[in-house]
Amino acid sequence: MKLNSRTKFGVVVAASALLLSACGGGGTSADGSGTPAKGGTITYLTIAEQFNHVDPQRNYTGQDLAFFGSYVNRTLTTYAHAEGAAGAELVADMATDTGTATDGAKTWSFTLRDGLTWEDGSEVTCQDVAYGVSRVFATDIIVDGPTYAISYLDIPAGDEGSNYPGPYKATAEQQALYDNAVSCDGKTITFKLNKVVADFNYTVTLLAFAPVPKAKDTGEKYDDAVISNGPYKIESYVKAQSMTLVRNENWNPDSDPVRNAYPDKVVVNFAQDQAVIDSRIIASSGDDAFLVSMDGIQPENLPTVFGDDKFKNRRVNETDPYALYAAINVKKVNCLPVRQALLVALDREAVRQVAGGEFAGDFADGFISPTMSADYAPNKVLDGVQPTGNADAAKALMEQAKTTCPDVYAKATGEGLVYDHPDTPTWAKNAAVWIESMKKAGIVLKSNPIEPGKYYSVVMDEALQGDISRGGWASDWLNASTVMPELFGEGGFNISQNKKDPAYAEFNALMDEALAQTDRAAQAAIWKKANQYALDQVWAIPTFFGRSQEFRGGNIGGGYLWYPFGSHDYDALYVIQ
Amino acid sequence: MARFVVRRLAFMIFLLAIVSIATFLLFSVLPVDPASLSCGQHCTPEKIAANRIRLGYDQPLINQYFTFMKGIFAGRSYGEGAQAFSCPAPSFGYSYYRGQCVTEMITNALPATISLTIGSAIIWLTMGIGLGVIAAINKGKIQDRVSTGLAIFGLSMPTFFIGLLLIYVFIIWLQIFPFPSYTPFLDNPFKWAQALVLPWFTVAIVSAALYTRLTRDGMLETMSEDYVRLAIAKGLPRRKVLVRYVLRGAITPIVTIAGLDIAVLLGGAIITESVFGLPGMGRLALNSVTDSDLPVIVGITLLTAFFVVVANALVDILYASLDPRVRLES
Repeated sequence: MKLNSRTKFGVVVAASALLLSACGGGGTSADGSGTPAKGGTITYLTIAEQFNHVDPQRNYTGQDLAFFGSYVNRTLTTYAHAEGAAGAELVADMATDTGTATDGAKTWSFTLRDGLTWEDGSEVTCQDVAYGVSRVFATDIIVDGPTYAISYLDIPAGDEGSNYPGPYKATAEQQALYDNAVSCDGKTITFKLNKVVADFNYTVTLLAFAPVPKAKDTGEKYDDAVISNGPYKIESYVKAQSMTLVRNENWNPDSDPVRNAYPDKVVVNFAQDQAVIDSRIIASSGDDAFLVSMDGIQPENLPTVFGDDKFKNRRVNETDPYALYAAINVKKVNCLPVRQALLVALDREAVRQVAGGEFAGDFADGFISPTMSADYAPNKVLDGVQPTGNADAAKALMEQAKTTCPDVYAKATGEGLVYDHPDTPTWAKNAAVWIESMKKAGIVLKSNPIEPGKYYSVVMDEALQGDISRGGWASDWLNASTVMPELFGEGGFNISQNKKDPAYAEFNALMDEALAQTDRAAQAAIWKKANQYALDQVWAIPTFFGRSQEFRGGNIGGGYLWYPFGSHDYDALYVIQ
Repeated sequence: MARFVVRRLAFMIFLLAIVSIATFLLFSVLPVDPASLSCGQHCTPEKIAANRIRLGYDQPLINQYFTFMKGIFAGRSYGEGAQAFSCPAPSFGYSYYRGQCVTEMITNALPATISLTIGSAIIWLTMGIGLGVIAAINKGKIQDRVSTGLAIFGLSMPTFFIGLLLIYVFIIWLQIFPFPSYTPFLDNPFKWAQALVLPWFTVAIVSAALYTRLTRDGMLETMSEDYVRLAIAKGLPRRKVLVRYVLRGAITPIVTIAGLDIAVLLGGAIITESVFGLPGMGRLALNSVTDSDLPVIVGITLLTAFFVVVANALVDILYASLDPRVRLES
């Protein structure tokens, strides 16, 4: 087909316009410094196809909790939107204060503020909170969320779980069980618990304790479109493409002393390529200056971003809530000098190096992360511990073990101890470092690679677990009650098998004392003591406290790692005007 | 001709029925349990068993198949009581992994793939046929060598390499384009085109090569036909002979292959969509396979089969209209 001259002209103009305007997007943007201001649009980029869950009762990952807690869902209490240790402070959100404990902290009450509204303008009631929490019990539909409500609320349970099946299937009799445990008196909601939970006011920071209007609950489909009681509402959500949040006109700032709600609009673009995310934000040209990565920075780009001062206001490299460690199976390695020798012999610098070097984390001196600022205190680490390992000190400890516990000594120097780790290239390198470190101290270590998807199910099975198993843990809320009892007490993640250890009784007494202590400062003092105690017994070898890196475009300010969730404090991010 | 079309359509429906049975059977024997996938983190054997009943996987396979097929024409409902919800027809099922109706997921992904397919098909057919014609009419000359060389270059380059090369040259180095961020055509046609230019050329450069070779060889073969030589001998203008006799004679196999190529591409260009972050069928298929999300895999497989079968039928019909011998033989 022959083109006539008019058509030819049109094609040329269109192509030129396409190219020229593409060029127009360039130009260097701001450097990330500015003062907080309202307005503009923040666009987040993520490699994820969608949020794990939008439904508050199903929401359980740090990033999702931080995102929706900042923008969409309000809870009875939350954390201060502040940088560093100040961000760990528990503050009242929908409630007028951080809760009142009675009956030795077996009953907790919270009173709702005035002026709380849903996005349709209707009032958020005490019944909405009670209904929201009740959904946690519908474990056939409300999956993946935390189940503390089921564990803590004073509702009878049988062999197959709670006698209350959730609001969708409950008979009047079953509903009465729940209503007895969670009751409303005007604006005051009262939770009756089946045990003392001194930090229940921290528990209710989880979105699983957020309100849901019964009339708007769509069960499984509530995960697609939640009703907001926060400063933003969901305008659109297309999985694998994008989510757009716009201001919730019915959010009453006077009822919310916690949130800043800076941008006018928030967009999340899903399913982006990580390399492309990094490149766009590094270039930060045109509209890309308003981008924020939700997935940190690729390892290969860390030197670029952290090696050049032009990025200093746009990057974050801070300690996250994860404590990495290697649990020692105390049932099998029931010999303190051998456990101490393992601790002293380990080349932790090399362990950190294979995990990513200084960006992976800082040497750990215990199991409570420094991000739990109330409960963390530096521990006294065993004499002889050095970053690159101390073979001589380890050998001396093994000599001691030769006489005090010859069986374990014989195994550690003969057939060898078994080191469980996920079967991945990174963990294979980690295992090699361990084996080499121990070899220098005369300890034989054998690698036991486990299929990554089955790792925890294997090491949590006593019959299958080896002698040493790598682990990592972050708290569910900023109280060591979700760390120390879980790792070394009666909690569900104790892979140290330390309950037969002679020192366990004293430790467990500390746990009981701390869990019943409602004075936060006094409770924190006990956690610090317990942290040192577990370290002294070497029930596990702490390796490092994790670090996370975040990155944003030049026109976005307010970035820091929010201690409670180890992610952006989404509420603090603003568009530089 | 009408009888021919009816016969082709009937065969198409029969073929799709066979494909649907084969796909359904194939995925039902895979060692993946959808009841476990939708069970969440705190899963127990009791919850898996309850899920199996809820999702209908406790039913005999034949019942499951007919329920599935019925859903395509009449839609399907899930859940019970106030929490019940439905996936309207044509329903390919529900992804409990993503918490979304499969048809909705496909509908969301299809515009990006259609956009990619149409644009790239226009470019590859123009490039491929154009270079093929140049090569054929300049056989043995420099133009022929350059065209053939370009075709071999395109054919020998992996798609991901071409994609990354275009990104490096046009986005990072020359900075002519911004990083692609797919925008629906109706939202902003300009941004739509801007995001698709490089993916279009990525697919086109790889695909055009085959068409260049086919056009060149087809035209050279047709040029040696008696009727072409007769047309030239009778003094018809060269351009008229080339377009009306030579190219038309060579175009039939190209139409066949183009139809199938376009149909397959509508099922998703996995590599191109992944490299450029396009939210299309290819990326949806890739993620569904990675996540063992069976309802989505079945839906995409059936839809792709539908595209291929329909394209095949259309090509046959087109072929028959281009070449009367096909009708007569049929």
